[in-house]
Amino acid sequence: MTVINSIVPARFLTLIAHLVIVITIFWSRSNNVQACLPLDFSEEEYNTEDTRLVVALSVTLGLFGVELAGFFSGVSMFNHSQSLLSLAAHCSASICLSFFVFQKWECWTYWFIFAFCSVIPALCELILFIAVFGLKKKPF
Amino acid sequence: MAFYEVYSHPALIRYKTSVCTKATLFFVIVLCLTYIPPLLVAYRSQGFWLKRSTYEEQPHIRFQYQILLTGATSTTGDYVAWSTYHNFNHLLGSNLRIPSVSVQEEDLNQDGKFDRLSLQLELPLKPEEQIYSIQLLLTFSYQLFRMSTVVMQTLVYVQHSSSVPGSQLFVSGDLRLYQRIPLPHRGLHTAYNVSVIDGTSPFASAYDLVKIIQAYQERNLTTYLSCPSPLWTVGRASDAPFRINAEIHYPLEIISYRPGFWETIKFAWIQYVSVLLIFLWVFHRIQTFVFQNQVLPTVPIHQVKEHRP
Repeated sequence: MTVINSIVPARFLTLIAHLVIVITIFWSRSNNVQACLPLDFSEEEYNTEDTRLVVALSVTLGLFGVELAGFFSGVSMFNHSQSLLSLAAHCSASICLSFFVFQKWECWTYWFIFAFCSVIPALCELILFIAVFGLKKKPF
Repeated sequence: MAFYEVYSHPALIRYKTSVCTKATLFFVIVLCLTYIPPLLVAYRSQGFWLKRSTYEEQPHIRFQYQILLTGATSTTGDYVAWSTYHNFNHLLGSNLRIPSVSVQEEDLNQDGKFDRLSLQLELPLKPEEQIYSIQLLLTFSYQLFRMSTVVMQTLVYVQHSSSVPGSQLFVSGDLRLYQRIPLPHRGLHTAYNVSVIDGTSPFASAYDLVKIIQAYQERNLTTYLSCPSPLWTVGRASDAPFRINAEIHYPLEIISYRPGFWETIKFAWIQYVSVLLIFLWVFHRIQTFVFQNQVLPTVPIHQVKEHRP
């Protein structure tokens, strides 16, 4: 019981921290886009890279929706492995994205953070959804 | 009587599992997250691999007692000259003036290395001759021993010209090393142990200052005189010689070199381990929490000595 008392709030906090920093990047993405362009870049090149980053951020928000749905509906709230995975993924994502903002990393590094820290937990969440609602297994 | 803790020792609990379990996967991920991020942190914060370092040494400098002196005696190209090379003096003809030279090399702090050179040169002139410019070239041998052993022949070139004829030139400065590339950390470096002027050559081109300085500046290690402008005193008496007074100090030199393999590894290891300790502590706490509270299923084995009844 005490384990769940610690893991569930920790998972919620890291999820929300990751969400907050993704929303922040929506406003501060110009530095990152400029970092991955050459010194003399044209308007079209800037818009192309900017659009790519916006697409990545939007897909991240969509995956957040999936994870939050799974978390709040109780499908994965009490599942230890999914909690641990989600905790680790969103914690590393928050740290990496804060470096992304402060150190002005290039915009293509966002795809790596997206792949490891947004796609994998959301995929596991979807698998749990299918297992609980489709295959009628117990959530934990 | 009061009850207090007299002694304590940790009791070890081992957690066992088979290879294809979630606990093994967790362990592998934690292993990667413990040992790889400190390397990234240490590398990305710059300065992981030491590329260049410095050390200080006072070099062994000895004056080689080879001098080449040229002075312009008019504004139309007349000159007088002298050197310690017989072939050059033969080529001068009537422009040769033989000065009296007095040189002292002193070791001021008695450490076996010379610290200062004092050179006084008196150039006799005809009463109607005046000196308008002086070009002086002195040769030295330069040796370093602490890291790589460097033995080379170097020169100091002093030049001053004035529109007013002078009676004395006073130069005081330090003999400094100029490196284009850092020195290696060990080994013998005698590529420049060649005399800067070829004294055996009978041709005038061997004593052409332009060619000498041009060849000298091709080297990666050179010396130069670092000093404020030479002092030109005017008003020579008609029977007095032209005096050149040079004081050259041999100071402690800060030399840059490329560190060797073990020095680089030592500093990289220090940086890596100091960050690794933090990550080890953090993941130790996380692993204790996960395995003690059975977040991932494992088999705990307590080491308890059974008391026989």
